[in-house]
Amino acid sequence: MTGVDGLRRLALAVLLAAPTASAGVSFVPPQRYGQVELSSRSYAAKVPPVVFDHWRHRARFTCRLCHVDVGFAMSAGQTEISASTNRSGYHCGACHNGKTVVGGTPVFASCSAGRNVDEAPRCRRCHATPDPARLKKDYEAFAAKLPKKGVAGGVDWEEAESKGHIRPLDFLEGVSIHRAPLRMDKEIVIASSGWMTDVLFSHRKHSVWNGCEVCHPEIYPSTKSGTRKTSMIQISAGDSCGVCHTKVAFQIAECQRCHVNPVK
Amino acid sequence: MSRARGWLAASVLGVAVAAVALPGPVALAQGQGAPAQDWKKEFEEVCAKTQDAMALPLKELESLVARCDKLKPTIEKLDESQRKVYARRLKVCRDLYQFVIESRVKE
Repeated sequence: MTGVDGLRRLALAVLLAAPTASAGVSFVPPQRYGQVELSSRSYAAKVPPVVFDHWRHRARFTCRLCHVDVGFAMSAGQTEISASTNRSGYHCGACHNGKTVVGGTPVFASCSAGRNVDEAPRCRRCHATPDPARLKKDYEAFAAKLPKKGVAGGVDWEEAESKGHIRPLDFLEGVSIHRAPLRMDKEIVIASSGWMTDVLFSHRKHSVWNGCEVCHPEIYPSTKSGTRKTSMIQISAGDSCGVCHTKVAFQIAECQRCHVNPVK
Repeated sequence: MSRARGWLAASVLGVAVAAVALPGPVALAQGQGAPAQDWKKEFEEVCAKTQDAMALPLKELESLVARCDKLKPTIEKLDESQRKVYARRLKVCRDLYQFVIESRVKE
């Protein structure tokens, strides 16, 4: 990269920060990034909602394993998860059954038959309001040896896997289907409008953890170039790339990680 | 001695009755289990090709979509927990095959 390119990218980063900031985008602390509240049934059942931290799980499993094989939907409220499905060995219960061994330890069982959370310490492992201090401490211990990247200081999952720090499972016995390995290396240049640099989209990077089904057709219903125009405002609201890049994958305010192609 | 013979006779009769009566329920249980395995086997076969979808011929993709559609009513009759999970998994798999078909046609 030449000095001119560097200056140009810096200028673009500053310019890009303005619309993202105006869209309400700011950096979420890494321990809270990807936090999802599962509450569609909990209030009716008079139990505290489950606050799910993606980072605790993504070091161990691919996105595809949970969002395709286990059946967790990509949109809130679509999974129809319940204590009953968990107890039957589905959803959280696919792993949280007291039998499945991950990393040499049996995974604690989810959802007892009783509803009194205060009397069942097991329930409080998931059905509890997170303690911010403990969450931060847990995250720091978890991420201490993992590579970080970007201004938000989040884990660089790609490098963490390539260097062998994490080995996300992509197959769960009794749940997953034996499939041929996916080979998808097609890279796509997504043209940006006006002064923005183009996005270089790597299918290889995305499909290794997502397969095809996580994105197509639910998030991307067409592959034909130019059929869909998405603005950063839409993305920051959770559309398109924002489905993952506002919740789990690196934050969208890190513009230069996608907008990597030279200015036209 | 006669009491022992009586017990022996009763035991033989009991075994004989069981031999005649049991195959019914056993066969019934197997019969109930077999269709359950059939739907799962079909589901696993039909959804095992998502990784290869881009390379599959159009006719095979259309056949896979048809098999998904045929399987859907069976999955919708499963118990609630199974239905929630497998109906979604089937939809995701079917939609991908349909997506590849449509992408191919557009090209």
